Amino acid sequence: MKNILITNNPKVFEENKDKMEIIYSNEYSYLDILYMTRDKIHNGYRLLTHPLSGSIKPNETPYKSTIVIKEEQNLDLNSLDVIEKSIETASKFLKTKKTPKWTNKILEDFQVIDFSLIESAIESIYQFKKC
Amino acid sequence: MRLELGKINIVDVQFGDTTKIESGTLYVNKQKIIDIVMEDEHIKSVEVELAKPGEETRITPVKDVIEPRVKVEGQGEIFPGVMSKVTTVGTGRTHVLKGAAVITCGKIVGFQEGIIDMSGPGSEFTPFSKLNNVCLVIKPVDGLKQHEYEAAVRMAGLKVATFIGKVGKDVQPDEVEVYETKPLLESINEYPNLPKVGYVYMLQTQGLLHDTYVYGVDSKKIVPTILYPTEVMDGAILSGNCVSACDKNTTYHHQNNPIIHDLYERHGKDINFVGIIITNENVYLADKERSSNWTAKLCKYLGLDGAIVSQEGFGNPDTDLIMNCKKIENEGIKTVIVTDEYAGRDGASQSLADADAKADAVVTGGNANEVIILPPMKKIIGMLDYTDKIAGGFDGSLRADGSIEAEIQVITGATNELGFNKLSTIGF
Repeated sequence: MKNILITNNPKVFEENKDKMEIIYSNEYSYLDILYMTRDKIHNGYRLLTHPLSGSIKPNETPYKSTIVIKEEQNLDLNSLDVIEKSIETASKFLKTKKTPKWTNKILEDFQVIDFSLIESAIESIYQFKKC
Repeated sequence: MRLELGKINIVDVQFGDTTKIESGTLYVNKQKIIDIVMEDEHIKSVEVELAKPGEETRITPVKDVIEPRVKVEGQGEIFPGVMSKVTTVGTGRTHVLKGAAVITCGKIVGFQEGIIDMSGPGSEFTPFSKLNNVCLVIKPVDGLKQHEYEAAVRMAGLKVATFIGKVGKDVQPDEVEVYETKPLLESINEYPNLPKVGYVYMLQTQGLLHDTYVYGVDSKKIVPTILYPTEVMDGAILSGNCVSACDKNTTYHHQNNPIIHDLYERHGKDINFVGIIITNENVYLADKERSSNWTAKLCKYLGLDGAIVSQEGFGNPDTDLIMNCKKIENEGIKTVIVTDEYAGRDGASQSLADADAKADAVVTGGNANEVIILPPMKKIIGMLDYTDKIAGGFDGSLRADGSIEAEIQVITGATNELGFNKLSTIGF
C-alpha cells in the first residue's frame, strides 16, 4: 500500500515532504488538484480524504490537498463518485466567480487552514503506523 | 432528565456601574468585561460595544454568538468541561437571558466573514438582529498564531457570557418551560403507540476554524454517542466553527437548537422523542464511514422508527449527510434531512455535493448563493475593511458609499441548517 499526497499548498509540502510521497507544485490550481486526484483514481487508487474538505468555498481558497492510496483492486467506484461530484461542485463555484487575487498575508492564512484540514486526516491515517 | 428553562426577557442592554438585570434591562459593567477578557495574555486589546435591534449598526467579522445562561438548580454549570468541571448537565433549572447575546469579533484570518446588520434588508436574514448584543472586538498580541487567536476569542466569549449569565441566577423568570426525556425503556413504556423518533446531530469537525466541542472534547475525536436533549441546552456543545457564516452553528444555535425544541413540542402527542445521537464530519473518509455506520447502528439499537438528520457546513458534510441518511434508511428507519443549498445565483444548479434516492425528505435552509445589497450603516462594530474579503463577497463588493453587494452566505445564520432562520423552499 502506498499513499500519495497531492497538493498545491507549500506549507503542506514543506511539512510532509520527508514523510510521504507527494505530488506538488504551487502552480497547480484548486481544480488541477481535483483532476490529478481523479486521474489517480482512474489508475487504481482509492481516495482517503474528502476532496471538498473545509467549508471555505472552492472559489475562495486557492489551496487544496488530497490523499490517495494504491490498491490491488481496479477502479474504486466510490472514490470516482466522490471525486466527480467534487469536481462538479468546485466547477460550479468557479464558473460563477473566479478566486480573487489575494494578498500574501491572506494566502498564508488559507495555507494554514488547508494544512490544518489535511493534518487532521493525516493524524487519523497514521495513528497506528508511521508515515 | 428533566430541565426547567426559566426565561428572563431582556428588552434592552446598557452600560452601568454594576452588571445586573432591572425591569428587563441588562446593565453591564464595561470595565469588568474588559478585565475578564484581558486576563488572557494572548489578547492585546478588546473593545466592548452594544448593538440593539433597529440601530444602523453592522457587526463584522462575527466569530461566535453566545446566549448568557446560568444553572440555578441541579448539578454542574453551563459549558461543562470548558468553563466548569465535566459534570453531566441537563437537569434541574437553568435561567436564560432571553433576548441578550454576547458576540465575538476578530480578524483571526485575513479573509473574513460573518455580518450581522441590526437594521435594513440584511437584518431580516439573521436572527441576531433581534437581540440586545454585547459585542467584543478582540485584537491579539503581535505575532499570535491563528490557532491561539481563535482559542483566545472563543474563550473570551464564553467567559463573558458566563459572567453575564450569572446575574440571572436570582431573577424571577418571565416564563418557565419544562423539557423532559426519560431513560429509553421508560420513554417507550410511556408512549407505546407513538413512533420513536431520534435526532442525528452532525457537528462540524475538520480542523482550524472548523471545530466543535462536546463537554470540552474536540468532537473530531469522538465516535457517535447519545445525549439527552437537555444537555445541549446547558451548553454541552459549543462552537469553534468560524467558517461559512450562513450555515455554521454558533454556540447560540446549539443552545437554542430549534429541531430539539420542535421535537419536544410534538413529544407525547404524535411522536416519542427519545434522544439525540451526536456525530462528526471529518476529512478522513474512513472516519466518515465509521461515524455513519455508528449513527445507523445506534438508531437501530434505540429502536427508532424515524430520525431527523441535520448537517453543518458546506461541501464534504454533504457526503456525511447522505451516508447517514442511506445507512439509517437501510436499517428500515425513515429519515428527514436538514441542509441548505448552494444552487447558484439563479437557484438552478445542483444544490448539494452529494445526493441519493433515499434522501427523499429534505428540509432546506435556503440558497446561500442568492445576492443581496446591504446598504451602508452609520456604525461599524469590528472591521469593515475586511468585508471585501468575505466568503461570498467579490472584488469590489464593498462599495465607496459603504454598501456591500454579496451573496447571503456572508450573513451569520442566513441559511442555518438547524432551521433557525426564515428561509426555506416548499415543493408542490
